[in-house]
Amino acid sequence: MGTGLYKWLDERLKLAPIRIALLDEPIPGGASWIYVFGSVTLFFFLLQMITGMFLAIYYSPSTEHAHASIRYIMDDVAFGSFIRGLHHWGASGMMVAIGLHMLQVFLYGAYKRPRELMWIVGVMLFILTLAFGFSGYLLPWDQRAYWATQVGINIVGTIPLVGDVLVRIIRGGQNLGAMTLNRFYALHTLFLPWLVMGLIGLHLFILRRVGPAGPWDEARAAQRSEPFWPKQVAMDAVAIGIAFILVVGLAVASPAPLADPANPSDTTFRPRPEWYFLFYYQLLKYLEGPWEVVGTLILPILFFSALFLLPWLDRRKERRPASRPAVLSAGAGFLLIVFTLLTISIREVASLPKQDPSVLRGKQLYQELDCAGCHRIHGEGGTFGPDLSYVGDVRDRDWLIRHFRDPQAVVPGSPMPAFGLNEQELNDLTNYMLTLKRQP
Amino acid sequence: MHTAEPEGRRTFLAWVSGSIAAMIGLTVGIPLIGYTILPALKRRKPEWTEIGTVDDLQPEAPKEMTCMYSVADGWQKTTVRKTVWAVKRRTGEITVYSPLCTHLGCGYRWEPERHQFHCPCHNSIFAIDGSVLAGPAPRPLDTLPVKVERGRIWVIYKEFKAGTSVKIEL
Repeated sequence: MGTGLYKWLDERLKLAPIRIALLDEPIPGGASWIYVFGSVTLFFFLLQMITGMFLAIYYSPSTEHAHASIRYIMDDVAFGSFIRGLHHWGASGMMVAIGLHMLQVFLYGAYKRPRELMWIVGVMLFILTLAFGFSGYLLPWDQRAYWATQVGINIVGTIPLVGDVLVRIIRGGQNLGAMTLNRFYALHTLFLPWLVMGLIGLHLFILRRVGPAGPWDEARAAQRSEPFWPKQVAMDAVAIGIAFILVVGLAVASPAPLADPANPSDTTFRPRPEWYFLFYYQLLKYLEGPWEVVGTLILPILFFSALFLLPWLDRRKERRPASRPAVLSAGAGFLLIVFTLLTISIREVASLPKQDPSVLRGKQLYQELDCAGCHRIHGEGGTFGPDLSYVGDVRDRDWLIRHFRDPQAVVPGSPMPAFGLNEQELNDLTNYMLTLKRQP
Repeated sequence: MHTAEPEGRRTFLAWVSGSIAAMIGLTVGIPLIGYTILPALKRRKPEWTEIGTVDDLQPEAPKEMTCMYSVADGWQKTTVRKTVWAVKRRTGEITVYSPLCTHLGCGYRWEPERHQFHCPCHNSIFAIDGSVLAGPAPRPLDTLPVKVERGRIWVIYKEFKAGTSVKIEL
């Protein structure tokens, strides 16, 4: 049926030259597993586009509703957690794929003349992918999103002279708030997709004009060649299939997280960026005071300049890795630093004290019983009952448990109702109250 | 030198690519269809709301009562305010009517001096038991599920299709 339909369309649309241009491109040296990462990156971009469009059906980009709309997707929409999981893990997948793709191009010296333009467009795509990651992270408007973005934007603020202005432009105003969320949403869902689609088109156009580089051994490259279809396509498809199964597995086994709603007054939250920014986050910890600007401005400028200028920094025709020791060791050194920093950072994060699950349950109970109807914590909630912001400093466990069990027995005439909590609930709520202290 | 694959191998490779594409398409496509369509088809759970006490009603004197209930609109909850007509018969039985005329959905009124319900739009007239006395109304007034607990009246607010001779819940 497929061939019949193709013939019918070909008669009317003259598809043959397009098919030849798209599928019969010769690959010097033949198809290889090492060339699959560009296709895998493209696949992840398409997966992000599709899942992103569908997420937008239920997502509401406002500080009032963003968190609730994601909660709704996660809890109430059929397959919502799965679709968001694919988008969440797909972002990580795209980072891994783009990293491997760049590494392969780097190792093979495939950025060298005449492919400099393809490399430059690729570096732009890499930067835009990072921008996708950073802007998407804010959208759920939970504590992680809010505080990680706060830190990310403040890094920009340390740039001398223009830092403050840049911060205001990124935030869309003085504070991280409604203006920031909306511009991040527009950037993430409108500006970046068009830009990236255009640049991917350009990247592929250049590839089709100049052709793939093939093996670094020119003699081997000249020996034989093989069209893109069907072997390289099948190899790409297998790699894409494996990557997809991994992401599906992650989306099912470990759904995308959603923390408490963003709360600018809760400064106890320890923000942490996505793993692909972690190494940089760790680096900044070592660069304090006058050194800060090295981390926030000088190193990023050096890094991206080196990336853009790589075809001219390493301009000899020779592509064999063994004949390019300087460039290869620079690349290896960079990766060593990145992975060392990443490892240190992951270890530090793992050693952080985890929040007591009893406290989390107590916090949830506080919301379920609508305690905030009468009580206030850090400016949020009613004023009818006592302010509980620092209740842990003034009351002890025994008092709190007796009081929750029977308020009037402890405070005669108290209008607080007895909620009939069981032992575990009494403990959970008390544990949560005891965390509300000036000095935790 | 351009090397070509033998025909059988070409077919196999095309089949590999095609099946992986189909696997991905189905794994993503089916959930996406459900994701888009199912929430739109989901019916609300009926919710009992209190409208007042039995003592608020005089026998044989229908009274308009307010019914407040919350409606989930996706991730938003809105409180909706509707009025219903509650009737306590001499036997003590409580009946609650939907406030919309069964003809075209206008709001009708109780007329105490004539002892009947009157719809001002097209002059449909209903008796206190909801039956049609005159006018174009195709069916009696729509009753709502009602229960009395410790003297308090609870109803489930519903709306029904107007203009049909049978009661069809919307």
